[in-house]
Amino acid sequence: MSTADISILLLTLRVGLVATAMNLPLALAVSWLLVKKRVRGGTLIDVLVSMPLAVPPVTVGFLLLLALGREGPLGRLLGMDIVFTWVAAAAAAAIVSFPLVVRAAMVAMAGVDERLEMSARSLGAGPLRVFFTVTVPLAYRGILAGLLLGFVRALSEFGATITVAGNIPGKTQTLPLAIYTSIQVRDDFRAGALVGVSIALAAATLLAHNWLLRRAPRESG
Amino acid sequence: MTLLSFDVVKRYRGFLLNCRAAFDSGITAVFGRSGSGKTTLLNCLAGLRTPDSGLIEFNGETLYSSSPQRNAPPERRRFGYVFQDAALFPHLDVLGNILYGYKLTPKEHRRLDPDRLIALLQLSGLLRRSVADLSGGERQRVAIARALAVSPRMLLLDEPLASLDAAFKGLIIRYLKSIRAELGTPMIYVSHSMSEALALTDNVLVLSDGAAAAYGPTGSVLVHPAVGALADYGSLENLLEATVTHVDAPHGLATLRLGGVDLFAPGVTAAPGSTVTVSIRAGDIILALDVPARISARNVVAGTVEEVHARGARVIVYVDVGVRVVVEITPLAKESLGIEPRQRVYLIIKSSSVGVLEPDRR
Repeated sequence: MSTADISILLLTLRVGLVATAMNLPLALAVSWLLVKKRVRGGTLIDVLVSMPLAVPPVTVGFLLLLALGREGPLGRLLGMDIVFTWVAAAAAAAIVSFPLVVRAAMVAMAGVDERLEMSARSLGAGPLRVFFTVTVPLAYRGILAGLLLGFVRALSEFGATITVAGNIPGKTQTLPLAIYTSIQVRDDFRAGALVGVSIALAAATLLAHNWLLRRAPRESG
Repeated sequence: MTLLSFDVVKRYRGFLLNCRAAFDSGITAVFGRSGSGKTTLLNCLAGLRTPDSGLIEFNGETLYSSSPQRNAPPERRRFGYVFQDAALFPHLDVLGNILYGYKLTPKEHRRLDPDRLIALLQLSGLLRRSVADLSGGERQRVAIARALAVSPRMLLLDEPLASLDAAFKGLIIRYLKSIRAELGTPMIYVSHSMSEALALTDNVLVLSDGAAAAYGPTGSVLVHPAVGALADYGSLENLLEATVTHVDAPHGLATLRLGGVDLFAPGVTAAPGSTVTVSIRAGDIILALDVPARISARNVVAGTVEEVHARGARVIVYVDVGVRVVVEITPLAKESLGIEPRQRVYLIIKSSSVGVLEPDRR
């Protein structure tokens, strides 16, 4: 691998990790609201957070472009233009992979016996403490599996990324974009090598994901 | 003195709980068949479910009120709660479970030391065990210790014996009795077993279709008309504490000291000196006015009739033999013997009718 390829790999991993890190607290909060608090309007939130899974990623990219642009609401809030930077690529990857993370977290949290949480409340723990000392520890395998699935999705993000972050070598060109460019310039050898890296990354992550889920969840007391 | 009073209305999955009562300290049973609203009531008292309307007061403090609106969250009520199947935290070991609530209890509220509870419930050998490796009886003991470790103002128990083998029931009943004797923690004991209520509790609230059908001292509520329809008198048993004094291995009989009397029982594996719980069915005891001569039954015990309750085809008699024993006879037998309070009687109990509820010691 050339140094350029290594920097592409590092950039891709950075985008994936940052996207996943952004998703974790949000996914925990949303699944707590939907599964444990059972808030009003839960169905609407559910549809909204799952939407990126159902629409073409380029749609997400376009909406993000509008929101993050200098004139967009988020752009004005941030006071700077992050469009066509790796941060925008991470944001795009986060949004597209969020449904996978939040859905896994919801399933894992729904599997935690409500009476364990009720026990903890009667033992003096407030709702937030119950969440972090009972719910999350008992659901962590499912949550972690969801994070891995989200991570692997973030690594392969293409449509939203190219729309909002462009395809700038050394700046926003992640692995899928580099593969695309290689194909465009008919460098099949390089495309093949990058595809190999891409498959290896995905295989490693998916193996870890399956290992996490295969380990039987502990018996509830 | 009234400790806990409530008037609770709660609709839950098409079921209506509408119940008011006032409990004294001591142990109160909430008795009723499944689906009568027992658990829903307990959850409302603990704050785990919010009533639709009503009032819950503990020791003059309003825990819940619909107007003016007030609802203390469960973590502020300081009621220990023991779930039917223990509900131990599977990600913590036994000690971790016991200390979970203790650590959250402010120092000024800590009255019960975990070490004392561990000793009282004989858990010292289990502390580092995973809760998945515990027997049903051990789980329940850990759950009770965990609930008591927060020094609760009251202990709420939801059918703690329901999922246990008979052998473990005897054990847990003894532990609960020692908690009552040593710690004096008031308890609400939800059960559908009159035998358990009789063995453990001072008062009984009878729930029927979500409403209070009767309330009063356990012995007399047992024969209340409202209970007649619910109670399975045929399986009514005395659950009494006894000490093994002697084991006669060749004859397979052990001598048990119970109150002031000796009883013979077969098949006892417990060692002399140990305490066991004895079960004798109320219907398996024969009442006699004179000392019977030359009979096969090994146990003839003198006592005094305390109460006689006639209820349809059944007569429930309480006899004091140093401990209180419930006996069930027919109305015909009551009439022909003329059984009345303060009468001197003899209880005849076959040794095979004396069951010892004790897990095998290995």
